[in-house]
Amino acid sequence: MKQKKYIMSGGLAFSEEKDMEKLRQFSLKGWHVSDFKFMGYTLQRGESSEYIYSVDYRSLEEDEKEEYFDFFSTSGWSHIASQGDIHLFRAHPGTKPIYSDRDTTVEKYENLNRSMKRLAIPFVLLTVLVWVGAMISTGTLNTILHVIAVILSVIAFPTAWTVIAIYNNKWKVKEKKGLVNLFKTIPFLLVLIAVFLLLFVDGSASAIHLLAYMTIGAVIFPTAIWVIMSLYHKM
Amino acid sequence: MKKTEQLTDSMFYIMAALTKPRHGYAIMNLIEETTQGIITIGPASMYTIIKKLLQQEWIYLHDGSDSRRKTYLLTEKGREVLEEEVKLRKMMIQLAETGLREG
Repeated sequence: MKQKKYIMSGGLAFSEEKDMEKLRQFSLKGWHVSDFKFMGYTLQRGESSEYIYSVDYRSLEEDEKEEYFDFFSTSGWSHIASQGDIHLFRAHPGTKPIYSDRDTTVEKYENLNRSMKRLAIPFVLLTVLVWVGAMISTGTLNTILHVIAVILSVIAFPTAWTVIAIYNNKWKVKEKKGLVNLFKTIPFLLVLIAVFLLLFVDGSASAIHLLAYMTIGAVIFPTAIWVIMSLYHKM
Repeated sequence: MKKTEQLTDSMFYIMAALTKPRHGYAIMNLIEETTQGIITIGPASMYTIIKKLLQQEWIYLHDGSDSRRKTYLLTEKGREVLEEEVKLRKMMIQLAETGLREG
């Protein structure tokens, strides 16, 4: 019988709680997570047992690691794996949570966002600049800038969305309901704006149309994947 | 009165445990024992707060020779902050006690 298998992560920024619950369910069936793998986890077959899972985000220096993991193990949380600044822990049900107050839980998401933002902000700014360039330039330069803009957007969209999702996690902890609801409507708003641009902006402004199509694609495509994935997991 | 950043409960408990040199595990245990298990500090919260207190220079690394069990101790500044906080919390306890007696 197979001893290892791979399951996909919903993306920790988007579905940390769901991922942890999924890992718990798999443990009940005798499949225990043993490592991170590209966009998911490796599970290993073993005895079925109930475990709870938690993840923490922290950048650690080499000489900080022993102490950090010792805090967890003495509290009943065994370290399973780390990938970069992401650390995964497992404990028996009833173990006290790794975060015991709200202020430090908020900081958990700030830790994660600090490294994401450093990457995302320059990238998104650059993408916007190239799009502006594509809109105002002509000839060969116009074509080149279009190609670059499209390529950059493919990376900039998900990166920006991840940062916003992490903010959303923070707002949830702080119980800022208005902002959490706003987060849920962002995809609809983006599609609405894109459709509006397609309908009412002159067809000669091709950069704007291209951007609008990409926006719609960026929302529809992950939604489709999400729908298929959730159907797949129900079956 | 001197204005300092308001301590969170968890920060206050950890500082209260660091009037003597202690490592993380000892701090968690002491807090749990003192409150008979009512208050526990999670390891991630604990680590976050230790780093923050070090950065504020309210505690310092007392003994780092065992990298798994580093011990920490309040600095002079930390002691002052803790004393101020105790005064503040006493006032609120008094308010509650007087109120309860009169009620």
